[in-house]
Amino acid sequence: MVDISLCLRQPSCMVDSKRMRITSNFRWLLPAFFLLHLMNQVNSQKKGAPPDLKCITNNLQVWDCSWKAPSGAGRGSVYEVCIENRSHSCYQLGKTNTKIPTLLPGDHEITINPLHDFGSSISKFILNEKNVSFIPDTPEILNLSADFPTSTLHLTWNDKGSVFLHQSNVIWEIKILRKENVEVIKLLTYNTTLNGKDTVHRWSWTSDMPLECTTHYVGIRCYIDDSHFSGRKEWSDWSPLKNISWSFDPDYQGNVFPQDKVILVGSAITVCCVTQEKVLSAQIGNTQCPLIHLDGENVAIKIYNISVSASSGTNVVFATKESMLGTVIFAGYPPDIPQKLNCETYDLKEIICTWDPGRPTALVGPRNTIYTLFESFSGKYVRFKRVEVSTNESYQLFFPMFPNQEIYNFTLNARNPLGQSESTILVNITEKVYPHTPTSIKVKDINSTAVILSWHLPGNFANIKLLCQIEINKTNSVREVRNVTIKGVGNSNYPVAVDKLNPYTMYSFRIRCSSETFWKWSKWSNGKQYLTTEASPSKGPDTWREWSSDGKNLIIYWKPLPINEANGKILFYNVSCSSDEKTQSLSEIPDPQHKAEIQLDKNDYIISVVAKNSVGSSPPSKIASMEIPNDDLKIEQAVGMGNGILLTWNYDPNMTCDYVIKWCNSSQSKPCLMDWKKVPSNSTQTVIESDQFRPGVRYSIFLYGCRNQGYQLLRSVIGYIEELAPIVAPDFTVEDTSADSILVKWEDIPVEELRGFLRGYLFYFEKGERDTSKMRGLESGRSDVKIKNITDISQKTLRIADLQGKTSYHLVLRAYTNGGMGPEKSMFVVTKENSVGLIIAILIPVAVAVVVGVVTSILCYRKREWIKETFYPDIPNPENCKALQFQKSVCEGNSALKTLEMNPCTPNTVEVLETRTTVPKIEDTEIISPVAERPEDRCDAEPENHVVVSYCPPVIEEEIPNPGADDTAGTSQVIYIDIQSMYQPQAKPEEEQEPDTVGGAGYKPQMHLPVTSTVEDAAAEDDLDKTAGYRPQANVNTWNLVSPDSPRSTDSNSEIVSFGSPCSINSRQFLIPPKDEDSPKSNGGGWSFTNFFQNKPND
Amino acid sequence: MKVLAAGVVPLLLVLHWKHGAGSPLPITPVNATCVTRHPCHSNLMNQIKNQLVQLNSSANALFILYYTAQGEPFPNNLDKLCSPNVTDFPPFHANGTEKARLVELYRIIAYLGASLGNITRDQKILNPNALSLHSKLNATADIMRGLLSNVLCRLCSKYHVGHVEVAYGPDTSGKDVFQKKKLGCQLLGKYKQVIAVLAQAF
Repeated sequence: MVDISLCLRQPSCMVDSKRMRITSNFRWLLPAFFLLHLMNQVNSQKKGAPPDLKCITNNLQVWDCSWKAPSGAGRGSVYEVCIENRSHSCYQLGKTNTKIPTLLPGDHEITINPLHDFGSSISKFILNEKNVSFIPDTPEILNLSADFPTSTLHLTWNDKGSVFLHQSNVIWEIKILRKENVEVIKLLTYNTTLNGKDTVHRWSWTSDMPLECTTHYVGIRCYIDDSHFSGRKEWSDWSPLKNISWSFDPDYQGNVFPQDKVILVGSAITVCCVTQEKVLSAQIGNTQCPLIHLDGENVAIKIYNISVSASSGTNVVFATKESMLGTVIFAGYPPDIPQKLNCETYDLKEIICTWDPGRPTALVGPRNTIYTLFESFSGKYVRFKRVEVSTNESYQLFFPMFPNQEIYNFTLNARNPLGQSESTILVNITEKVYPHTPTSIKVKDINSTAVILSWHLPGNFANIKLLCQIEINKTNSVREVRNVTIKGVGNSNYPVAVDKLNPYTMYSFRIRCSSETFWKWSKWSNGKQYLTTEASPSKGPDTWREWSSDGKNLIIYWKPLPINEANGKILFYNVSCSSDEKTQSLSEIPDPQHKAEIQLDKNDYIISVVAKNSVGSSPPSKIASMEIPNDDLKIEQAVGMGNGILLTWNYDPNMTCDYVIKWCNSSQSKPCLMDWKKVPSNSTQTVIESDQFRPGVRYSIFLYGCRNQGYQLLRSVIGYIEELAPIVAPDFTVEDTSADSILVKWEDIPVEELRGFLRGYLFYFEKGERDTSKMRGLESGRSDVKIKNITDISQKTLRIADLQGKTSYHLVLRAYTNGGMGPEKSMFVVTKENSVGLIIAILIPVAVAVVVGVVTSILCYRKREWIKETFYPDIPNPENCKALQFQKSVCEGNSALKTLEMNPCTPNTVEVLETRTTVPKIEDTEIISPVAERPEDRCDAEPENHVVVSYCPPVIEEEIPNPGADDTAGTSQVIYIDIQSMYQPQAKPEEEQEPDTVGGAGYKPQMHLPVTSTVEDAAAEDDLDKTAGYRPQANVNTWNLVSPDSPRSTDSNSEIVSFGSPCSINSRQFLIPPKDEDSPKSNGGGWSFTNFFQNKPND
Repeated sequence: MKVLAAGVVPLLLVLHWKHGAGSPLPITPVNATCVTRHPCHSNLMNQIKNQLVQLNSSANALFILYYTAQGEPFPNNLDKLCSPNVTDFPPFHANGTEKARLVELYRIIAYLGASLGNITRDQKILNPNALSLHSKLNATADIMRGLLSNVLCRLCSKYHVGHVEVAYGPDTSGKDVFQKKKLGCQLLGKYKQVIAVLAQAF
């Protein structure tokens, strides 16, 4: 019954109940057991039995069972506990719990009988392991430490496994709390196994926040999963919390953590500032970050997705009122896998491995990548680390080679604070030989065509063969490369024989090497220059001969031997001429001389030339002296093509030895020889080329055929390598000129200036003066230019017909070749005039002049009276003129008056009374002369500057028979003006009376003003008095005879307009005509009779 | 002897430990005679003046180059990061006698020279590619060495001073990078400030 009741309360019993259901024989017992159980409970309560027996264990060895004291039981109650095990045992207890050693599996009856308590009843319990709870002891943290630089907590505790007999799995649960208010920030589990002995466990945890930022707490509990225990298993209690905190250094104003942290680009990081000052702001670089407040004044910031840092890192700063605290974060990348890892050796002593680091890590200095090269067969390694790394650093490591090891397995490990990577390579190092550059090149003679070349190659190549290339460079020759395979040696000197060289030739040798199992060529060594030794000349010199102009001497020419035939420096030449009769020799002609002259007779000689150098003589070069004449010879022309002149000829079987073509400048004197060329006898053409050929220079080319007896001139050619235009114009002259033709003659242009074969002349002519047509182009297709093309180059004259007489012609002549037109020479020629036309031109004007003269004479004769009256009126007799009785008082009132003033002197009136006129009339004197008019006008304008002639007109009485006059105006004024006096105002008034004292009859001037007191004037007056005839009104010498065309007279307002001669105011005619030489001349002409005929228009 | 070496030497080291340990030792022993290796140049004071002028002319450029190489926010927070608040910096009195001024100049240049050495070492690790900064730091240090030699020569030849007690700034080798940057910047700011005074005083 008890068993059943317990099973109902314990879920674990369900298994057993199932088991019971299997035994179907006992099914009928279930209701009976249930009823028995209920009755037992009722009886127990009724009897005051202890309720609830609870058993727990923490070590699976002892069960700690407790029960509640029955109601009414006082302190000091004693219980008898009986455990019905295999052996029944009872004991007394003065408390309500007891420790029972672990009972064997199965049910055990526990009887608890309160002693001395008569009101209580005996309690019986059925105890099974399944009813026991397993609660491990609370774990204890042995140590909690912190690694602040890495923000890692290290926790140690003891699992006390020795208590447990069985191996069990243990789950440890660790909680991490932060800040003063103990917020759980992490709950982690850690699995271990109990193995029957005490074990200290260590557990580490890295915080995302630096541990210095705030206090961190750690607690731990466990759960032991013992498979042998069938009871209930529960978590232990939490251990007491342990904390870790950073001790603030009061010497510092504050600190920022983490310091110098290296993190991956793109990751997040928490940075805190531990300070006692208030932090105002925080920033990474220049970017502000929100603050996270921690304990006290401590703050933190969270940085997400950090970007790559500069080499000096990323600055994170916290600003307080007076200062700035900060730290540096290095955000970068873990090392990339080393790329292009390659290992090779220069000398088989040391292996050099190179690689490309790949993506930059952005970490430098102590955070830079450390490379370790590890060789697995030998177990050796070398390390590469540079604290101060430059950007262009090459990544390479040297690894020493080991004897007898050819295969190397390298692993290159790259590591930095953010991670590591590696790359491997397996090499047979004997196949990866990249030799150093060969040095110390030396050359030693074997003979003139072979040398020994040796070089130094550092390295231990004793076990391999080397493949080397020798580059042989010869001046003006193609580069030759020879391969040689040599066995490697330890002393690193490698001699090689180089043959098939040319004597006395400058060579340049270079060497490079590789291993026979080719990997890489070394770099080329420096070049080594070497001159091979001399040998005897291999051929005799190329020889030619020419007879001198007088035919007595034979001049022998030879060409210097080319260097590949001279085989050394030619010292001298020996020349010999031998005939059947005698031999002449010229010995040791020094090298620069390549010509010799020997006086020979007309016999046939064989000339032999030998070149000698320091080693020996060349084979003799022979040539016959005899020249076979050729009568059928014509001079031909040839023009070059490109760089040479092509010469062709017909095959002649009689020519048994080489053809010889020689050429020279045509202007050279005989014998001329510039060069020659020998052509095999079976040839029929050759191109003559020479560096000496110049365009525009005429060359003479001679083709000689060679027979046994000698040479025969076959062809003679003149030619140009290139024709040019003439550089001078033909010199031409005019041989004859007529009225309608011109004969022109010109000279040949010298060959040197012709510069090509003359193809003709161009003759241009046109009408034109020297000044007009000088610069006008003649070839511009103008219609007035006539051109004659003279293609007959033998023609040296040209007559130009159908020209106009007395006409200027412009003549131009120029020569041309296939190379172009030469310059022009021009000339102006005037054709002779036509004589008939000249005569006509003279006679017609003469006839016209005669006719005009006759007609004029007739007309003058018939009108002679009118002419006389008009041009030569009668002069009145002054004696009959009463007007000469001057009133003296008029001008004598003022003795100081020196000049005649027109104004304000009022003209006197002259009253002429005629008998027939009774009424006198006074008229103002009218001065009609322009001379008289001017003073009034000018007086107003220039009163102070103008010398005014004070004019006091005399009163003249004259009878003027003026029929047209008014009857009442019977009087008229006659005014005589001494014009000269207007320019002689200095006349002294005292002398004015002298004329009056001179008495005399005859004509007297109308007015006499003694304007000068010169002696001449006085003398003239004396003469005048004596003559008593007609006297001019003034001194003729003082007349200013100015022509109207003179500059002074051209001014119409001038006061001297009519001063050329004295004149009567009335007549206004010159009394004395001007002389012819003073007469005005026409400037419009330049006309002459000759010009009249010569200035014919060009028609 | 082994006991002596094992016990006394560390004791002496501990007794003589003070701030700046590990810094260069004093230039000459206390009882050293004042002897110059080479005769001093007759125009020594002019050389000293010229060297000071030369240093003064390049100090600002060096300062700018330095704080630019340290990255943001150094260029924009010079007052808080590069203020010339250098502790234990040797004083200078411009109105003192020439001898006193030379002695103070010697102390200052010795202090600056050692600090420049620290800065140069730190920057070569921290900014390996800032070649112009390295070059300017080296050039400044070179001039300072010459100046130090000239000042000592002058002190020795004219005032018979063969020994000057000098102090050095803190060794930055154990400090974090930010402290290195900041101390270097402060030192160069101080250098720029004090070299102007020195150049004017001589």
